[in-house]
Amino acid sequence: MDKLITAILDGDSAMAVSQARQLNASGLSPEKIIIEGVEAAMSALDTKCTLEDFNLLEIMLAGRAVMEVTKLFWPSGAVKDSAKGTVVIAALEGDVHDLGKNILKMVLTGKGYNVVDCGKDCPLQKLADTAAAGRPLAVGLSGLITTVIPVVRQVKGALAARGLDNVKVFAGGAALKQSTPGMLNVDFVAESAFDVLRFLSGLGNGLG
Amino acid sequence: MNSLELVSATVKLQKTRRVPVIPQVFGHAAVLSGVSVEDYTSNGEMLAQCQLNALKHYGHDAVFSVMDANVEAEAAGCVLEFHKERYSEIIKYALSPGGQFLSPLVVPHPEKAGRMPEMLKALTILRKELGMNTMIFGCVLGPFSVATQLLGLEAALYMAVDDPARLEALTDFATDTIIRFGLAQLKAGAHAMLVFDPSSSPAVIPPNFFREFIFPRLKKTCNSFDQAGSMANWLHIAGPAAPILPFYPAAGVHIANFDYYISAAQAIKGLPATCVNGNIKPLAFVEDCPDAIRKESMDLMTAFLGRRGFILSSGCEVPLESRPENIMAMVGAAREFSNA
Ligand code: B12
Repeated sequence: MDKLITAILDGDSAMAVSQARQLNASGLSPEKIIIEGVEAAMSALDTKCTLEDFNLLEIMLAGRAVMEVTKLFWPSGAVKDSAKGTVVIAALEGDVHDLGKNILKMVLTGKGYNVVDCGKDCPLQKLADTAAAGRPLAVGLSGLITTVIPVVRQVKGALAARGLDNVKVFAGGAALKQSTPGMLNVDFVAESAFDVLRFLSGLGNGLG
Repeated sequence: MNSLELVSATVKLQKTRRVPVIPQVFGHAAVLSGVSVEDYTSNGEMLAQCQLNALKHYGHDAVFSVMDANVEAEAAGCVLEFHKERYSEIIKYALSPGGQFLSPLVVPHPEKAGRMPEMLKALTILRKELGMNTMIFGCVLGPFSVATQLLGLEAALYMAVDDPARLEALTDFATDTIIRFGLAQLKAGAHAMLVFDPSSSPAVIPPNFFREFIFPRLKKTCNSFDQAGSMANWLHIAGPAAPILPFYPAAGVHIANFDYYISAAQAIKGLPATCVNGNIKPLAFVEDCPDAIRKESMDLMTAFLGRRGFILSSGCEVPLESRPENIMAMVGAAREFSNA
């Protein structure tokens, strides 16, 4: 397991995949590999990346290795039947910045969540419909440009209109993190992609 | 001393009677004139007219031919979608990371490709109207930003690790593209050039990547503009750019934009002998009131008093939906402030 963790932290996708394959061949289940290997690597990355010392490329490379390992077991790239639940994420209509959202996706996948990514420039309707179909634990919004704030405020209403009153909504990204949950009409505003893990783990398992 | 002379003197760090003020009015000029962002960013005549209207309305010290961040990308083959109320976006990248892309890439012809000719038209009109009275900035995207727009930012960053030689070749192509486009803009009427380079921000790439990979190409670009008579090269890298400021002078940058992530003191320290401009938070033009903008402007000008080489400006472009009275307040503050 240590070799898998090291390979992920080194951002070495090929090595990470071959380690995961070996562990699986020796009898470990994919779930166990995710929890004890991939999640452990993500925790190490979390403590390593402070606000002052943040290397985006390092995180992206580790994230890519995580996604490759996930794909080995679940070819769609999402942890299906995840015990932790589903999270639907998007950058809303009018916002084409998606680097932060993609990092969020990798971090959540690495922590064993089933992530459904609605992409960037995503209309509110599409986000709400996807949430209705996926019965998620939470919906995550990434916003880098302030013009999406009015749409962010409407997300809870759109979910409620589909009977999803109890789905939590959290937000992050350079524009949204300057604001507060009250101003954005969301449940939580995250400083970084790792920050939200603490919020999600407090929610318990997904009911949707 | 007219407005153009005032900006030129400030760029040379000379003493001036007042502080020049350049809110970065790009697409906001369309909103101010009541035309759609789509029309503004695709019709040179309309762009020029809206810039002139904004100049008349605010009385600031420069106009820009900026359309959006996708002009070069479109000219080199990306497919865009246009919107009435916001900037265009790329819906299909010109290149895919796995594909064979270097042979078919041809440096776009500024008089033929995409919206490039419209931008040249805008510059010709602006120059005819403004002559040598107000500084006219042409605009190119930075070399690395063009590369990321052709490929997608994430794919480009992975390529930097997986296949750096390929990314180098692509960024060289991007450099050739912007040099050719920039030279055409200077010929069409631009006095000076803005190099807009969001993807080179330390929010995205580490400073050593900037030094090794981006710096030499920026330098080549700025040198070419200098040779073609650019009165000033303005580099615009948003976000927490403090660690890369010291590279700017050697890259041939004459005006360094600093975002609100950087304090006036940090800008002065990082660039002791270069003209800088900044750094009112863009969002403040939407959310704050004129008094707050006025105060912030006064504080900034005071921070630079005695240092010279300061242009009062926003940290990045002023948002489309900015309140005009806030921009007025900033221009008013610069006119009132005694720069003695
Ligand atoms: C790179 C960049 C671009 C690239 C984006 C490419 C891409 N595929 O993403 C390009 C060149 C396309 C671009 C275009 C534009 N941009 Co831009 N861009 C930037 C820049 C320099 C960096 C953004 C970035 O990728 N950061 C790195 C990522 C990893 O950081 P992050 O997203 O914050 O994510 C981290 C956390 O926040 C968190 N996170 C992110 N999302 C979420 C969500 C949740 C739920 C959680 C928990 C966590 C989380 O996870 C990450 C790791 O911790 C910023 C400046 C800045 N400092 O932010 C401007 C900036 C965002 N852009 C800006 C602007 C204005 C534009 C344009 C309009 C410019 C123009 N005139 O054309 C256009 C169009 C944008 C549009 N319609 O959306 C402004 C926005 C200002 C505003 N009004 O709000 C900024 C802030 C620059 C500025 N100072 O003014 N841009």
